[in-house]
Amino acid sequence: MSGWNRSSRSRLGGRNNATLERTSTTQTVRLGRVQPQAPGHRTIYCNDREANLPVKFVGNSISTTKYNFFTFLPKGLFEQFRRVANLYFLGISILSTTPISPVHPVTNVVPLSLVLFVSLVKEAFEDWKRFQNDMTINNNSVDVLQDQKWESIPWKRLQVGDIVRIKQNGFFPADLLFLATTNPDGVCYIETANLDGETNLKIRKALEKTWDYSTPEKASEFKGEVQCEQPNNSLYTFTGNLIIDKQTLPLTPSHILLRGCSLRNTEYIVGAVVFTGQETKVMMNTMNVPSKRSTLERKLDKLIIGLFITLFCMCLIGAIGSGVFINYKYYYLGLRGSKGENSSYSSFNPDNRFLVVILTMFTLITLYSTIIPISLYVSIEMIKFIQSTQYINNDLRMYHIESNTPALARTSNLNEELGQVEYIFSDKTGTLTRNLMEFFKCSIGGEVYGTGITEIERGIAQRNGIKLNEESKSTNTVHEKGFNFADAKLMRGAWRNEPNPDLCKEFFRCLAICHTVLPEGDESPEKITYQAASPDESALVIAAKNFGFFFYRRSPTTICVRESHVEKIGSVQDVSYEILNVLEFNSTRKRQSVVCRYPDGRLVLYCKGADNVIYERLANGQDDLKKVSREHLELFGSSGLRTLCLAYKDLSPDVYESWNEKFIQAKSSLRDREKKLDEVAELIENDLILVGCTAIEDKLQEGVPTCIETLARAGIKIWVLTGDKMETAINIAYACNLINNEMKQFIISSETDVIREVENRGDQVEIARVIKDEVKKDLKRCLEEAQHYLHTVSGPKLALVIDGKCLMYALDPTLRVMLLNLSLNCNSVVCCRVSPLQKAQVTSMVKKGAQKITLSIGDGANDVSMIQAAHVGVGISGQEGMQAVMASDFAIAQFRFLTDLLLVHGRWSYIRLCKVITYFFYKNLTFTLTQFWFTFYTGYSGQRFYDDWFQSLYNVIFTALPVIIVGLFDKDVSASLSKKYPELYREGIRNVFFKWRVVATWAFFSVYQSLVFFFFVTRSSDRGVNSSGKMFGLMDVSTMAFTCVVVTVNLRLLMTCNSITRWHYISVGGSILAWFIFIFVYCIVDRKKNVYYVIYVLMSTFYFYMALLLVPIVALFGDFVYQGMQRWFFPYDYQIIQEIHRDEPEGRSRDDLLEIGNNLTPAEARSYAVAQLPREISKHTGFAFDSPGYESFFAAQLGVYTPQKAWDVARRASMKKIAKKK
Amino acid sequence: MNTKGDKSKDGESSHAKKKSRRPKYSRFSQQELPACKPILSPGWVVSIFISIGVIFIPIGFASLLASERVVEMRFHYDHDCIPAKYKDDMIAFIQSNVTNKNCTRRLPVTTKMKSPIYVYYQLERYYQNHRRYVKSRSDSQLRSVSSEDSTDNCAPESFATNGQVIVPCGLVAWSLFNDTYKFSVKNRSLGVNKKDITWKSDREKKFSSDVYPKNFQSGGLIGGARLNSSIPLSQQEDLIVWMRTAALPSFRKLYGKIEEDLEAHDEITIEIQNNYNTYSFNGRKSLILSTAGWIGGKNDLLGIAYLTVGGMCLFFAICFILMYVIKPRPLGDTSYLSWNRSASGGQFNF
Repeated sequence: MSGWNRSSRSRLGGRNNATLERTSTTQTVRLGRVQPQAPGHRTIYCNDREANLPVKFVGNSISTTKYNFFTFLPKGLFEQFRRVANLYFLGISILSTTPISPVHPVTNVVPLSLVLFVSLVKEAFEDWKRFQNDMTINNNSVDVLQDQKWESIPWKRLQVGDIVRIKQNGFFPADLLFLATTNPDGVCYIETANLDGETNLKIRKALEKTWDYSTPEKASEFKGEVQCEQPNNSLYTFTGNLIIDKQTLPLTPSHILLRGCSLRNTEYIVGAVVFTGQETKVMMNTMNVPSKRSTLERKLDKLIIGLFITLFCMCLIGAIGSGVFINYKYYYLGLRGSKGENSSYSSFNPDNRFLVVILTMFTLITLYSTIIPISLYVSIEMIKFIQSTQYINNDLRMYHIESNTPALARTSNLNEELGQVEYIFSDKTGTLTRNLMEFFKCSIGGEVYGTGITEIERGIAQRNGIKLNEESKSTNTVHEKGFNFADAKLMRGAWRNEPNPDLCKEFFRCLAICHTVLPEGDESPEKITYQAASPDESALVIAAKNFGFFFYRRSPTTICVRESHVEKIGSVQDVSYEILNVLEFNSTRKRQSVVCRYPDGRLVLYCKGADNVIYERLANGQDDLKKVSREHLELFGSSGLRTLCLAYKDLSPDVYESWNEKFIQAKSSLRDREKKLDEVAELIENDLILVGCTAIEDKLQEGVPTCIETLARAGIKIWVLTGDKMETAINIAYACNLINNEMKQFIISSETDVIREVENRGDQVEIARVIKDEVKKDLKRCLEEAQHYLHTVSGPKLALVIDGKCLMYALDPTLRVMLLNLSLNCNSVVCCRVSPLQKAQVTSMVKKGAQKITLSIGDGANDVSMIQAAHVGVGISGQEGMQAVMASDFAIAQFRFLTDLLLVHGRWSYIRLCKVITYFFYKNLTFTLTQFWFTFYTGYSGQRFYDDWFQSLYNVIFTALPVIIVGLFDKDVSASLSKKYPELYREGIRNVFFKWRVVATWAFFSVYQSLVFFFFVTRSSDRGVNSSGKMFGLMDVSTMAFTCVVVTVNLRLLMTCNSITRWHYISVGGSILAWFIFIFVYCIVDRKKNVYYVIYVLMSTFYFYMALLLVPIVALFGDFVYQGMQRWFFPYDYQIIQEIHRDEPEGRSRDDLLEIGNNLTPAEARSYAVAQLPREISKHTGFAFDSPGYESFFAAQLGVYTPQKAWDVARRASMKKIAKKK
Repeated sequence: MNTKGDKSKDGESSHAKKKSRRPKYSRFSQQELPACKPILSPGWVVSIFISIGVIFIPIGFASLLASERVVEMRFHYDHDCIPAKYKDDMIAFIQSNVTNKNCTRRLPVTTKMKSPIYVYYQLERYYQNHRRYVKSRSDSQLRSVSSEDSTDNCAPESFATNGQVIVPCGLVAWSLFNDTYKFSVKNRSLGVNKKDITWKSDREKKFSSDVYPKNFQSGGLIGGARLNSSIPLSQQEDLIVWMRTAALPSFRKLYGKIEEDLEAHDEITIEIQNNYNTYSFNGRKSLILSTAGWIGGKNDLLGIAYLTVGGMCLFFAICFILMYVIKPRPLGDTSYLSWNRSASGGQFNF
């Protein structure tokens, strides 16, 4: 029996791990989970609204609002009462309407209703904004076919079955069935960055049967019937049939255009709407974002629980005292009762002491209810709301002029969380980089060309105190998209005077010929546009154009290049090269070759690829060139540039012919065609002659390296999680200064021989087992090494690079701890080739496993899950996609604004809220304790010390405003100093300001002060108080005490302030004044109570003024001594910084003054910067190249397999010709 | 058709371009409000301490002096005024209708007391601030005739045995203090003025001159003093004093004023009518004769507190100066920054 069990487990084990992994994390992450589908299928009649009518498909409008007009009140109130404090006060309010309450219901009802009112108004306002946001999306216009014309209607009116037209760069308004396109071969290109973050364009191809329906006249004739699956959230699957002319055609995912994607490189497409609105795949992937609560608030909950426990203890003490105290001997209490006795009698029945205890318990709970700061939550909300809407949204430092985008706080819940972030998970494309490739430098025949300075060089120079003067853009440098190269030595034919003009020529020709780019538009250098599958490729072709080798036409067999300055300066000639073979780029080959024949019959193979691949295949000799070029590659690599090596080879006709036969054979083979083609290519790609290398800048967003460095100094660790390939990811990590050559790198990759070999065998179970073992081995080794380094004093910093496939196994519960340990010890972590799901898994691993506060930042829909999984999600706004922004908590236009968001806003918010919370805690505890001390002197009867209105207004009026002002205006150091000393941020990470010790200190002084208030005031007023010998009553004493409390508590707030604006004075003064005005009026108005005229009686005595001067000072004495000592002996960091800069006026211009000026010329500065680059131990050469893909990498990872088809340029070119002829 | 669509779109986008979303500058939203930034430097600490000390010590002396000038005589009579045979059963004595509750004592006047001399009675362990007690009154009834019937809170003293409302109702009034005092010096009786022993506001606004006591102390259980039902409440000053309930269980209430000077070495004879039952709950009663200064009655606490705080401020000022000398820390010393203090461990604190 046991044997059977074991065998079955082992058989299933390997495969199950992967599936288990996926299912176990689905609770936290929504993207990628496949929901159970409704049975059956849907039938859609295209272009026939009536026919679709019986089936009520949902409209295309989307709604993200929480409430509507009718549900607002019940739902909103329900939400409010989910807060324990509110619920508690509701209970107390109900309790205080009963006779056992010592206080009038007004005491608790007034604050509660004020609090609820404010919260509801805020909710309504936020929901209204959401509603408006939805409306703008729903009112985007789209062209729909109506009466043989394209009519523009808003998105929300779109219905299932409609025929729509989407133009270039437009977003798809719904999930569409792709019918026709302006491209002749029925394909269109889409960008799915919003869905999976991959930036290479995807090809979609319409059914041939529907190719013609591209004009309105033709499209209106289209009558098809689509039978397809019910809406679901699986992005990469689609099953259905199109029935047209009684012919059933199967539909695949490649016929579907998903909402959220956009159209590229295609004039327009025509499609039929299949899924709409909430039923689109992307919407089904992003539903019901759970609202996040900040860590501080969760800590606050603990504090509140602590207060509840305190409350309970206080009540218990009082209640037991009451039970013991009560006795018939106090005859004046009338405990024996008499006629007309009501139920309240029972609450003091000495015959039933137990009942007395229970009832007194309730009495005291209502009496001490003020210990729970009811207005705390609403005050915090207001503060945070103003912080986010007024400060974060309006911060000019976070306004991006180019994209006209200010920062946006989409939730106001997490402001202070921004002040405690320890881990940042960043996406790469669009977040760190602009997704803009620019030809930046090159090395030809051992000479470096290109004078630009990369961000990383600038950063290094800055760290070394040198300011690099940007070379003014002279008129002779050409700068266009994809080309940012400045060096007169190569431009306008000047290369002819360089040491190796022939190599230069080959270099340029290689750039112009060896690619798979299609030219489009007018054949003039200014107007032409290149269609390339990756921005790298087009950057290279554009570079060739600028060097005078203008590639302007491609036919299936030729490439036409307009070559300038070849014969002599100024000469221009059109040369057409016959393209004989194209050897495609793929990730195993890492190179791409073209065999071409010159007009004069010369046969040349041009090759470009990764340096290590090319170097292996170089002809012998040219060692000097190799060495110099390698140095240049390393230089480029450590400057964060993406490099490609260029080489060529002259072929003799016989060699070529014999090879070509093999090639044709391989090309036409039916089995293992890819593999055979690779092998054949291998035969000819050898004995190459090195020409040089190119360096392309994957243009970083502005200020990224500086920002990252600042954040690192602030104690924040940054992880890059990207869908890109390992080379690209490492490259960017270099460019961002996350990894440098001095760091010890741990690389865990699945691209090893062992794994590849197993993969080729294709046994899934074994692949899983082998990879797991390998990963485990790697992890163990790295961890040991890391721990070894940790024990040494000045070991190198550590960096971890891991790819998605390995990560999948490393995240396995058995290995997870090891991964976590290793990664927490590393200063930077780079995860490449990770799926959106894995991004979220990594994030929640750190969030839950290490209990650290995490922030995710990204710009695409592939980052959504990560953004939602982290404590704080930040979206990059101002770009086209909105998915990430919609899921995020904060949206900023640029990565570098994180500095301001975290170091300035986050830090301030954190400090302010800590102050607000601790102060709230203090003031309520102090107030309630005076009440508590009084209980001991009332026979534990629960008599209130203060009047009902005093107690109810204490929190909402007399002490409400100043604390909000502090929450808004308190500023320890200025914004520029916050950024100048990023280390200050660490106080937030360590949670210095809201530790139990801090709370305990406040509690201690709270007890002290309450003792002073109660005992001093009662003891000093039990004699005659004026020269006429009259005595005070209870209400006089309590009013006196309350006055002291209000004054002291407000003054105490001023003592906590780091900066005092006039609003502080106004609010503190106003609060104290409000109390006096209130009591002046109340003492006249309310004649029913004992407070009548009390304040006037009080103020007629000297005693009042004597006590009013003395009591607050005695109460604050302890705090003052403590603050003085603390500052002197254990100063906080911010206090030191304050002292350093105490004499400086604050101003915006400070930022500029901080920079150190210098007199270096640009050339000197540059050479110095370059000299500063660490290079002696460099291994990194910076190869990276994005290959065009047919289908998403993630789709493949999820098991949706689409065969890799070659980007058949020749065929596309030929189709173009045909189209033109038409 | 197409061109039209394009145009409108272009129009929109150019319009959008014009509309900058640049936030407007304001000192508030940029968080650049002018502010004073106090730094609690030792200089400030010391000077604040010194100035508090300098202000407080004179005030302390002044009030202590004022308090010293007040002459106060105090006499516990709860035990003294029980005849010897009732010492074991004081409750029976006090509750009995037949026992003679008169009690005469002589007190020497040690210091000269200038008129007016205030006569107080002091009760201890008497919980006038008990929740049940405090509640048991009807202020509206006291204030106007029209609301005589509002006795909701007065239980159990709301209605007399005949079912009519009691005015003033409630336990507070019911338990009105009823000991009386007569004073004489050298066989010459001293008049005790019982007018103007209450706060004016109470007399004029809280206790109506139209409301007369009704059915008061007519029940089976007599709590305390009876009231003359022909005198309006506003003139029943003993009641008014009693009904301004005290804050603590031991309290003083003003009984009256003696408007004659008492010389030192005079012997004052006090005739006490010991009626009030404090014996059942072991409370104490005393009689106090006191003059009053600007500060009120004898109140050393204020003066001492002022002096102590002032003294402590000066003491701390000296301490801080010493600390500044012994362990100086220059303002803005960067070596105190946490990242400088733990330079080695700072980078790798996981």
